[in-house]
Amino acid sequence: MSAQEIVFENVSKFYGDVLGVNRIELRIPPGLTSIVGPNGAGKSTLMNLMCGLIHPDRGEIRVLGISPRDPERLMRMTGYATQFDAAPRWATGFDFVVSSLLLFGYSSSLAERLAWAALEQAGLTDAARRKVNSYSKGMRQRVRLAQALAHDPQVLVLDEPLNGLDPVVRAETIALFRQLAASGRHVILSSHVLQEVDVISDRVVLMANGMIVAEGDIRGVREEIHEHPSQFLIRCRQPARLAALLFERAPVAEARVIEEDGALLVLTRDRNVFTRTLTALAASGLDIESVVPADENVHALYEYLVGGSA
Amino acid sequence: MAVYKRGYQRYEGPRAPHAERLLVLPREAWRRLTAQRIVTALLALSCIWPLLCALFIYIANHAELWAGLDRGFSRLLAIDETFILTFMKVQSVFSVLLAALAGPGLISPDLGNQGLALYFSRPISRLEYVLAKMAALVWLLSLVTWLPGLVLFVMQASMAEAGWALAHWRLGAGLVLGFWLWVALVALVALASSAWVRWRLIAGAVVLGFFFVLPGIGVLVNAIFRVAWGSLINPLQAAYGVWCALLGAEMPAGLSLLTGLVSLALMGTLLSLALERKLRPVEVVR
Amino acid sequence: MTARFRLRQALVIARLEMKRVFLARRSLWIYALAMLPAVLFLGHAIQLRYELREARQGGVVAPAVIETVETGMSEQQVLDVAGKPGQDRERTIRRSSRREEQGKEIFETREVRTRRMIYFDGSRRAYLWFEDGRLQSKDVRTLLNFAEDQEVYAGVFQYFYLRLAIFFGCLGIFLNLFRGEMMDKTLHFWLLAPARREVLLAGKFLAGWTAASVVFSAGALVAFAAMLWPHIGAGAEAYWQGAGAGHAARYALAAVMGCAGYGSLFLAASLWIRNPIVPAAVLLLWEASSGFLPELLQKFSVLYYLQSMCPVPAPLEQDVPALLRLILAPAAPLSPTLALLGLCAFSALVLWGAAAGVRRIEINYSTD
Repeated sequence: MSAQEIVFENVSKFYGDVLGVNRIELRIPPGLTSIVGPNGAGKSTLMNLMCGLIHPDRGEIRVLGISPRDPERLMRMTGYATQFDAAPRWATGFDFVVSSLLLFGYSSSLAERLAWAALEQAGLTDAARRKVNSYSKGMRQRVRLAQALAHDPQVLVLDEPLNGLDPVVRAETIALFRQLAASGRHVILSSHVLQEVDVISDRVVLMANGMIVAEGDIRGVREEIHEHPSQFLIRCRQPARLAALLFERAPVAEARVIEEDGALLVLTRDRNVFTRTLTALAASGLDIESVVPADENVHALYEYLVGGSA
Repeated sequence: MAVYKRGYQRYEGPRAPHAERLLVLPREAWRRLTAQRIVTALLALSCIWPLLCALFIYIANHAELWAGLDRGFSRLLAIDETFILTFMKVQSVFSVLLAALAGPGLISPDLGNQGLALYFSRPISRLEYVLAKMAALVWLLSLVTWLPGLVLFVMQASMAEAGWALAHWRLGAGLVLGFWLWVALVALVALASSAWVRWRLIAGAVVLGFFFVLPGIGVLVNAIFRVAWGSLINPLQAAYGVWCALLGAEMPAGLSLLTGLVSLALMGTLLSLALERKLRPVEVVR
Repeated sequence: MTARFRLRQALVIARLEMKRVFLARRSLWIYALAMLPAVLFLGHAIQLRYELREARQGGVVAPAVIETVETGMSEQQVLDVAGKPGQDRERTIRRSSRREEQGKEIFETREVRTRRMIYFDGSRRAYLWFEDGRLQSKDVRTLLNFAEDQEVYAGVFQYFYLRLAIFFGCLGIFLNLFRGEMMDKTLHFWLLAPARREVLLAGKFLAGWTAASVVFSAGALVAFAAMLWPHIGAGAEAYWQGAGAGHAARYALAAVMGCAGYGSLFLAASLWIRNPIVPAAVLLLWEASSGFLPELLQKFSVLYYLQSMCPVPAPLEQDVPALLRLILAPAAPLSPTLALLGLCAFSALVLWGAAAGVRRIEINYSTD
């Protein structure tokens, strides 16, 4: 097994008679990976399994070569911001982060320094001395993030980390995730809001009913779905004329002019031929402002794969 | 547009009578109680002693089985107030254990899930809510207390010579009445702890604590101050005193029917007040 | 990771947990339970001091004088023998009586002159009750009886502290360590620490044990001091310089070891069983009946070891209810050192079983 990847091999977990996840085969390389699926899809179960909060009934998990049954080694390089909202009653935001750092064996002064740095990263310095119980939902989210980040882990697991954050903090947090992923770390986050992960993820893992329905980078996943034509939204001055030309020269299944936007939505079964034809048309002088793939987003993929909106 | 303008109409069809609607609560509570395997197991376990007592009654009423034995043995086989008291003492322990297991789940989930506001927004008063919940527990406790006791009494009456039942009516009446008081107290303790303690496990421990720690405190007071009034806070001794008086048995030292009743009434009042204070249709935001 | 590092981790966990155990609102009843005997002994001590001061103010007679006075004596005879009483009160009451005369019941009411004299001989109080000038009853009560107070304390410690307060206190404290966190949905905080589950168990046990030991041994010692207080100047100093300090230490040690024994059992139960109330009730009955069990089985009860550590055997009360008397059967004794070692071994064995439980524990907040 790779010491650089998070590996799930035929992993199943049941809660009594209820299915948690079933026969998961997954390898997660460094970078930003999003686990997407509706509520009850098995995202949190997958993350809890990864961090040893629950144990699989079948199969094996390795996080960079370490078993989740060995928390002493695993949690040294892993930070997990869970979805559980509760914090110990006694804890202020600062205590919450410091106390977890003390368990790493850091001295008090170093733990305090690291805690302040993490709280600053999470934008929570002002409220650090307040009890976590008095925090708003967004602040609790941030303090959990600070705790997960504080020991500078190689693997960062974040369960619905953007829930409850206001737009400014949200943008800052996303930037932070990107920065961490760019530095070679594993950043794994879950979400049921498809649009949000669509923009930030290097790769997605789509889950439904405890199983992985697709994984990979979004475009790669899209290309493997042959039964659904690819969609392109083209902005141009003469959409009707363009539609006619495309029907003549490319394998177009459907074209729809959107009058109010001055755009054309085209469905094609052969992306390569279609893009070559479009390039040729543009070169011949047809005024094309922009071409955007309309279904290379997680929402569309999800619709195709699972048949319902997440 | 308001909902009612979109064609909403109040339900005007037939409705079940009020009393029948109230039965929904105990029925649901009973379903939840019996869904716990441990409660069923303990219920089965608590039938062993009544069965042994029934065997005892059978033997006591069949002289041919012990004809060769001496007179002392025949005295031992008497079905009298001592026999009934022994039966009551053992079954009362089982009733406490059952209440500790089954009782905490009656009210605490409603409180924990902010369900009281939902209940009380229906035509159900607080008293009706408590009585409905209590009914399920009382029925459960009755199965191990006065019901098997009454069966034993009827069994003895049918096996003994004619006129036994009439001559010993006090045993039957005392057993039923004594157990009614006991069951009411145990049910109140279980409901009060269920209402005050959010965590079911600890609520169960509180029920056990009430019946084991309070007697300990009573004995403690008596021993340290060399007095007898410490027994007033001992629910076991108070109930035992009342049972003795009802059955016509010898009273324990330093206790009378009145003090026993006053002690039980005081405990009942305090527990009812505790319930009343906690069961309010308000939402607690944590 | 070195053993030293793991020990440090366990201590950090214990320190963090102790804050929660000591300061939690849900621990208040444990303080109350632990301090109740101390408060009662203190109340008794204050009452005794008040009674003694009052008795001494009335004068002290020789102990032999109280023995001399007998029922049937006249008031004057008693006054001649014992002198002026410490307290003297006369009253006339009306008394009804019933007699039968020629098959008829006749009720009569007559006036009775009563007088109550109280004499004090320095430690005992004699209550003399006269009716129509004749001594009807003599009730002698010892106000200061050190031996009796020591026996009462032994009873309180063994029956109340060991069997009830420490039992239920540990039930509350040790169930809270894992099951309580599961209910509060905060256990994941600990399970996500870079520490072995066994280290977590050790740290939490240490926190619970320390808290329970401090609370209950302090309660027992304060109660012991309150028991001694009225006897200062009447034998308490000599006792303290002799066996007293050792007795206090043994009581404190028994409390500490009681917390270890019951604590380890409840901790293990909370890890293995979802509803530990059932094993708690079974344990309560098991411990209660340990005195009736064969020697081999007795060694599997915590009480067996604890009773052997206590310096004074507890009296068996005769007038306690049958249900409680079931709990009061003493177990066969063992030497204190062996008892200490036995209990340590017992607790270690139970904790070893708990370690297997903590390794398999999973976060499952929805069903708890």
